[in-house]
Amino acid sequence: MAPTMNRLHPLSAVTYALQYGFLWLWIPVVLLLVLAGAFDPISGAWVPFAAPFGFLAGVAYGIAYYYRFGYEITSDTVDVSSGVFARRSREIPYGRIQNVDIRQGVLQRLLNLAIVSIETAGGGASEATLNFVSEAEATRLQREIRRRTAAARERRRAEKKGTTGGVDTDTEAETETETETENEVDDAASDADADTSSAPTDASRQPDSRERRDQHDLWDHPLESGPDPADEPDAEPAAEAGLETDHDRLGPQPVDAVDDDEYDTFDEFDDGDGFDEHADRDDRNEFDEFGHPQKQPLFDLQARELLLYSFTSIRAAAVAGVLFVFFLGTDLVFDYLLTVAQPVGGPEDLGTGTPTNYGILTIVSLLNGIVITYVLSVAYTFATYYDFRLGRVDEDFVYERGLLQRYSGSIPAEKVQSVTVTDNPLQRLIGYAGLWVETAGYGPESNGGSQSAVPLAEKARVYTFTENLTGVETPKFEQLPKLARRRYLARYSIIAGVIVAIAFGITQVTVLERWYLAAIVFAAVPPAAHLRYVNLGYYVGEDHLVVRRGFWKRQTTVIPYYRIQTVSTRRSIFQRRLGLASLVIDTASSRTMVRGTPTIYDEELGDARDVHGECRERLQTALRKRAESDDLGVSVDFT
Amino acid sequence: MESLHPRIRLLWIAQAAILAIILGIVLAAIDPWLLEIPTVAQVGVVIVGIALGLAYAVRLYQVWQFELQPDALYLERGVITFVETAVPFVRVQHVDTQFGPIERALGLSSVVVYTAGSRNADVRIPGLTPDRARELQDTLRDLAVESEADDAV
Repeated sequence: MAPTMNRLHPLSAVTYALQYGFLWLWIPVVLLLVLAGAFDPISGAWVPFAAPFGFLAGVAYGIAYYYRFGYEITSDTVDVSSGVFARRSREIPYGRIQNVDIRQGVLQRLLNLAIVSIETAGGGASEATLNFVSEAEATRLQREIRRRTAAARERRRAEKKGTTGGVDTDTEAETETETETENEVDDAASDADADTSSAPTDASRQPDSRERRDQHDLWDHPLESGPDPADEPDAEPAAEAGLETDHDRLGPQPVDAVDDDEYDTFDEFDDGDGFDEHADRDDRNEFDEFGHPQKQPLFDLQARELLLYSFTSIRAAAVAGVLFVFFLGTDLVFDYLLTVAQPVGGPEDLGTGTPTNYGILTIVSLLNGIVITYVLSVAYTFATYYDFRLGRVDEDFVYERGLLQRYSGSIPAEKVQSVTVTDNPLQRLIGYAGLWVETAGYGPESNGGSQSAVPLAEKARVYTFTENLTGVETPKFEQLPKLARRRYLARYSIIAGVIVAIAFGITQVTVLERWYLAAIVFAAVPPAAHLRYVNLGYYVGEDHLVVRRGFWKRQTTVIPYYRIQTVSTRRSIFQRRLGLASLVIDTASSRTMVRGTPTIYDEELGDARDVHGECRERLQTALRKRAESDDLGVSVDFT
Repeated sequence: MESLHPRIRLLWIAQAAILAIILGIVLAAIDPWLLEIPTVAQVGVVIVGIALGLAYAVRLYQVWQFELQPDALYLERGVITFVETAVPFVRVQHVDTQFGPIERALGLSSVVVYTAGSRNADVRIPGLTPDRARELQDTLRDLAVESEADDAV
């Protein structure tokens, strides 16, 4: 290891030692037990003597691992070398870094420690994990890497400018500071191309509030269907009220007032005048003696939004947790369920009871399960998104969140692949939605490279954010052909038929009767097909494709054409019979592995082929355009 | 549009046959001690499997086509689900030529085109003669370099 390399925090030697100690403890134990079974002279009674040897060897290995682990920040790369016997040195170029995340558990927060992970687009895991460094070092690393990544970006741009034409120092200085300038550059670029294209974009950026709201209705209504009768009229005033409060909040609270010039200043002597206590707190870290850009708040999750978010989302993790507890302590769980069900008519114990008893027990247990899962889910969401704050530093998004376990991370704006607005039926009911940005990296959680930019906010705001962030015009969603709905009707009928058949099968082998009662599921088929159908839509925009799908977790994904990787038109045998096709638009976003690739389902073949061709064409146009201008693709000041 | 080499059908049939035979062996293995399966049924399953594989291979060969278009590599394939894919040259990360044991025996090889997109989006063109595969690989590489974009991930 080079002498200049940094070591991890000394306490990580202790944790590595313990970790490997307890892991290696088992090696001689298992070996002894296996050998004792095979050879007579070896006895299982030696285990108490052999185990400490394994433990000590593990401790030694852990300490050696600590001493053999080094990291360094050089001018072009982040270097990490590791390994006790087999060495690995890894160099990660700044230009390839997707995001840098800091994670702190409860214990680590008490000890002022943090885990830093560096993500690139390749591989199935983090490229480098520093487990762990001191909190101050983590912040320093994150800032340093961010700064150098930005510097590498500037160099690349300067080079490009050098090759394409003269360097306009004035513009260069400005592009890194302000979105307004970016917009101007945008407009200048598109003005040169087509005057008509820039005009509506401008209009959609700064309309008056009423116009804005009317436009936003388009986000929720397909083009061809007109005003949807299903949409209750009393939702309108609510949305309006929501928008009004927005404006109230825009005034006094600096969080939303990023448009004000004072937050765009990079003056090194600006020590946060006009910032609230949040900003003052941030200043502690973000002030830079070299006059480098400070962190500017973009969005803070308010208490109300946090509570709404917690109560309206269901986490798969909570379901998994409940199932895990169930399998872990089955007896205890049964005891509990029996105790709860008894007062309302449950059986005395599992062995005795009438069918009615068991029926009550089943219903009570199900209710229990649902309530407990929900409570867990609320608590989990609350703890995860507690004190969520999103800000920007230069051209990077930075976020932090978490009650017990703190997360913070930075995402370079130029790495954003696509932007998704998500909402579930509950959130739609109260008129809220969330905003996610997707990169090609792998986040600290299992949600791929997807990061929540705005966990939950009123949908009008979220739509405005989306438009500001991506520059997409308000989409006018195309509705898919009615044939698609017929297809879902048929599909769900088949599923319902299978359910009835299973019910029939159950009645054949158990005491249960009246299998035909299961036919009630057919009642759910038409609404299910209709709901799936109305939540599908797409919009072919000037620079973006917008794809919407899903009822339970509706996703509206905005894909800039220049982020398209491949385009596929797929037709199953059923679709071919109806003349329908699905269009799959693949981007480099790693979220697609979890949530599925953005797909326009069941469009008429001709239209699907048209969109297919359009996507390819616009990809080429967008790439040419981008080669000419320094377009970042997304705008960092989106709130 | 370019079709694959006709010999690719043999490869697909061979693959289907191997699968059918493995299935037959599994059936034969569970016959004595799990449940009684008449020998006729076992042989029948293998024969039906091979026959299906044969039909599938013939049909797949008929529909499999690819083409180098001005901006993208374009492919059409699929029996059950028919897929038309366009891989813009700008998006090509790297190109491999590969051949498995059966392919080698048949004198065929494949070209695999990798993009930064999701894993299953990597595109494989099977059933090319080794010369054609190498030629295609070179062409694709040149086209990819030519149209390189600096907004890579």
